[in-house]
Amino acid sequence: MSNLDGDTQRRLHPLSWVFVLAAFAKQFLVPLAAIVFFGARDDGSLWGLLFVIPLLVAAIWRQMAFRYAFEADSLLIRDGWLFRNVRRIDYRRIENIDTERGLLHQLFDVAEVRIESSTGGKAEGRMRVLSLEAVQELRERIFDERSRTAPAAEPATQAKVDEPQVLLHLTPGELLRYGLIDNRGLVLVVAFVGLLLQANLIDWARNDLIAVNESIAALGTGMLVALAIAPVAVLLVVTRLLSIGWAVVTLYDFTLTRQASDLRVSYGLLTRVALTLRLPRIQSVRQTQTLLHRWFDRVALTVDSAGDGVNSEQQDGRQAAPRLRWLAPICTPDTAAEIIRMALPMTDATADPDWRPLAPGARGRIFRKTLLATAAILGAPAAALLSWGSVPTVLSSLLLPLLVPLAWWRAVTYTRNARWALTRDVLMFRSGWLTRHLHIVPRNRVQAVKIRVSPLDRRQRMGTLIVDTAGAGATSGPVRIPYLESDTVARLAQALYRLEGDEFPISSPAPR
Amino acid sequence: MEPRKVDPATVNVWRCEAVVTVVALSSSAVLVALVRLPGPILGAMVLAASIAIVVAWVLPSAQYQALDYEVDEAGISIRSGILWRSQIRLPRVRIQHTDVSQGPLQRRFGVATLKLYTAGSRYTRIDLPGLAHDEALALRDALIARTGAGSGV
Repeated sequence: MSNLDGDTQRRLHPLSWVFVLAAFAKQFLVPLAAIVFFGARDDGSLWGLLFVIPLLVAAIWRQMAFRYAFEADSLLIRDGWLFRNVRRIDYRRIENIDTERGLLHQLFDVAEVRIESSTGGKAEGRMRVLSLEAVQELRERIFDERSRTAPAAEPATQAKVDEPQVLLHLTPGELLRYGLIDNRGLVLVVAFVGLLLQANLIDWARNDLIAVNESIAALGTGMLVALAIAPVAVLLVVTRLLSIGWAVVTLYDFTLTRQASDLRVSYGLLTRVALTLRLPRIQSVRQTQTLLHRWFDRVALTVDSAGDGVNSEQQDGRQAAPRLRWLAPICTPDTAAEIIRMALPMTDATADPDWRPLAPGARGRIFRKTLLATAAILGAPAAALLSWGSVPTVLSSLLLPLLVPLAWWRAVTYTRNARWALTRDVLMFRSGWLTRHLHIVPRNRVQAVKIRVSPLDRRQRMGTLIVDTAGAGATSGPVRIPYLESDTVARLAQALYRLEGDEFPISSPAPR
Repeated sequence: MEPRKVDPATVNVWRCEAVVTVVALSSSAVLVALVRLPGPILGAMVLAASIAIVVAWVLPSAQYQALDYEVDEAGISIRSGILWRSQIRLPRVRIQHTDVSQGPLQRRFGVATLKLYTAGSRYTRIDLPGLAHDEALALRDALIARTGAGSGV
């Protein structure tokens, strides 16, 4: 522990207390202000402030007592106020060093740092706040130590020049597209409506509306239709505008760079976020393309990193927010292919993989499943409508036959698009109907393989393959390939379980 | 290597558990019915409870029939399930740590559950129930013996 006492120890930035204060203000003052401002409750909630003060003192004290030091092969962190806790993190186990800089941080040239190891869940080390030079030192120390202690890890990339190489930079135009596609604005509108409800503002609005209603009754049908459509149109425009604003603020100046064996991501207008992704620690890459993405000829790319666990939200309730690890929030399919090549250097980019379809019976099963599911969901309302009279009867008898071609179209599109491929190094799965996914998992990252056979599967000699990796679930869970022939699924599971090996047409007979 | 069955004694453990559960649930329901409900419903409930007890008696042996495991140089694979069948394969280098656990009933019948933990996200714990206790310990040692120094991620 001598390293924590001598000259080698490091402290937090002297202004750290400002940020503790700021965090407290965010946590307690904003809700308090809301209560006071909207007057929802005024039964002495202000007394709560008295409990905040000792907590605040303790938090500031903790920041003052915080120390860290660099050892030969690990990072030492001493934390705690009454109960001291000394944590030693092996450099090689450190997955990510993430920084976040709000407006206040930018003012003082400091950053909040999170150090994540492969444990997943809670960040192993949290430093609020460090000066930028200290962050730089932290990065250099950890990454240098690691490349020294793990020489054989990435010989190919180590040999290359260490100067950063920009892979993607989002222009304002791209951000505009992203905002249009993402439609985050809807969330903001919902939040705003929630706030209105909270503040009892709906009440007077309703009173006014009733008055308006009476005058509406005098209008003609055409005007009524226009009146009904106008708010929807306005809402659509407003949500899109908000989405664009949101995109510009959060993802402003999004840059993806490659430096030695790391990918660095930084973005944000007010709050600058900087993430480091270690190439050898990327667990899987996902490409998503919604209908809107397709219209704009764009895709989105995310990665799963071993540091992101399923439980991050529950364990670190304060500021967990499992960050989506963007490789590219939006980019062209060509750029995406290039980034994937960079993120998964082991993939053989030259050869087109041998894409294989699902089992021949898959289309029929998806068709029947879609039809049955929609019939089950729509059945009860439809029956209720039928008993109502002639107009709904005509409507539903028109709609129900429409379901059949729709379900068929879904089944056909899904099976036409769903393809999987197993190369020497990766498993790839393309799926989706309206929203298309591409999921790439390096074979040496596979954690466990599961085959699931339902009674229906058994009758048609099919099975579902589920491939589990670390860090999945933060976004959308493990790879799940349904409707495979039982022979194929057995071979595939056998091959993946070996963690490395041949491409798909495996010469050995199917096990069991 | 051939697929291996777990210890047949585990059928008794599962039977005891299932029967105790069914009896506890149904007896309380029947008690309520005795006081409050007319005869036919009471009769139906007694019938349902007796069917449930029969199922609780039969199901464990079917479960036992469906459960087997196989260990090879790469890892372990476990098959289970009666209607929804599944087979999970876990490479031994992915085993982070293991537990051998025994409940009171399991102790009585000398069986144990081997729990294998991974760094995955869906299947973070894979259970192999019903092994004879010695066998569970031996299997655990065999599985972790050849695990290298890798981080398993």
